[in-house]
Amino acid sequence: MMAYSEDHIALAAEYALGTLDADERVQVQTMMSVDASYAVLCEAWQFRLGALNQMVGLVEPRADVWERIKAAIAGPAAAPAMLAAEPQVVTPDSAEATAPALASEIPTPEGQASAPAAEPAGEPVAVATRRAEPPRMDDPDVIRLAARVRQWRTVANAMTALAAALLAMISVQVYRPDLLPNALRSKPRTQVADVKTPPAQFVALLQKNGEAPAFILTVDAVSKSFTVRRVGAGPEQGKSYELWLVSDRLQAPRSLGVIGSSDFTTRPALSSFDSDTVNSATYAVSLEPEGGSPTGAVTGPIVFSGKLIETVPAADAR
Amino acid sequence: MLTPAELVWLIAAVSKGDEAAFERLYVATRAKLYGVVLRILRRQDLAEEVIQETYVKVWNSAGQFNPAVSSPITWMAAIARNRAIDIVRKRGESSIEEEPEAMDVAAETPDPLARREMSEELKRLLECVGRLEPDRQKLVLLAYYNGWSREQLAAKFGTPVNTVKTWLRRSMIEIRACLGL
Repeated sequence: MMAYSEDHIALAAEYALGTLDADERVQVQTMMSVDASYAVLCEAWQFRLGALNQMVGLVEPRADVWERIKAAIAGPAAAPAMLAAEPQVVTPDSAEATAPALASEIPTPEGQASAPAAEPAGEPVAVATRRAEPPRMDDPDVIRLAARVRQWRTVANAMTALAAALLAMISVQVYRPDLLPNALRSKPRTQVADVKTPPAQFVALLQKNGEAPAFILTVDAVSKSFTVRRVGAGPEQGKSYELWLVSDRLQAPRSLGVIGSSDFTTRPALSSFDSDTVNSATYAVSLEPEGGSPTGAVTGPIVFSGKLIETVPAADAR
Repeated sequence: MLTPAELVWLIAAVSKGDEAAFERLYVATRAKLYGVVLRILRRQDLAEEVIQETYVKVWNSAGQFNPAVSSPITWMAAIARNRAIDIVRKRGESSIEEEPEAMDVAAETPDPLARREMSEELKRLLECVGRLEPDRQKLVLLAYYNGWSREQLAAKFGTPVNTVKTWLRRSMIEIRACLGL
């Protein structure tokens, strides 16, 4: 666990807290599914913060919820469907199954024999979610419920009441600002995060030898724009990371440009490629002279690579 | 209320397909899990659906529960809460607030166990949350209990989303340091 950068750890913690947006959650879930130790890290945060649930009060669900659960576990067909709908299923087995050698080989233009189709990376990872239609509320309970809703609404700020109660407790019992070390009061970090990530439909983890991802590449299948999120890549130190599309349909790797030094780099550079090429290509990052390859071809070592995996079924796209 | 040890035993039985144990587990834990997800989803139909999915998952993956890393209720609540957060993030911010069925959760009963004793884990965590600046304490707790997004938190605190983002990140790093991780 010590191997993860502060960025990784913060991402895991915010995943557990729940404040990541939908795309970022898919990214974390993808990372969890291909990296069992990252999954352990994320789960550890969930369990740690889970102590807060001790303060949440009890609310009884309606009786027919149990009937629905029983029906769901009785049908043999139901179980796989439910499993597929669960993004956070991460078992050592499934992690292995979905952790192909995403990064292990870069097909050279000549090396067409390394058929991309044979790689399991093209298969959708079970991070996609598909929900059944919400149950209709056309039963007699609706009337009773409507009354309860009115009753509950009268205490409009009940949602914040629990937080407020805990805050009161904290300030009486444990909040001692003098204990806060100065070191923890460092200046807020300015984040370059204005870039809106596109709907995550395809994600590639750009990594080396199955290590923690250095970059996460997200491709919006509709606009073919991509976003590279820097997660674990070390500093370039006078060099530039350059992203390449490598496909057996192309004569040579095509540059998708230099990856900026900010957290996100977004570009529409894939629009000149057809969808099949985009989806089946290997994405590679090379270390080039500052500003990018002087020749237009890869000149430096390939440091990270990966293939796209489908994360959101087309029907679910916004 | 069953003890954690009894719940561990029930989950072990569930992993072997024991339906009676599954029902006892459901009875013992449903109100807590429903309370957790209803706060976040604020809609009965969605919350019930998450509860249903959660218990089906518990049924299917009880064998993966590891009592060494979490208590049974913590494990189950994490499954349920995760699912609830996925749903609110996918639905976007406005839709749930505007739903006619949107509800508050004043009807909940305080958890008798929570009244009686606060676990060491919770005390320790609250101590660390308590060392954050007051606004950030509130930020973290609202995010956790209500499942609010950065945008909702930004509106609540009257700050830009990027500021909220920075605060959240730093708060989690500080909590981590305080917990000695």
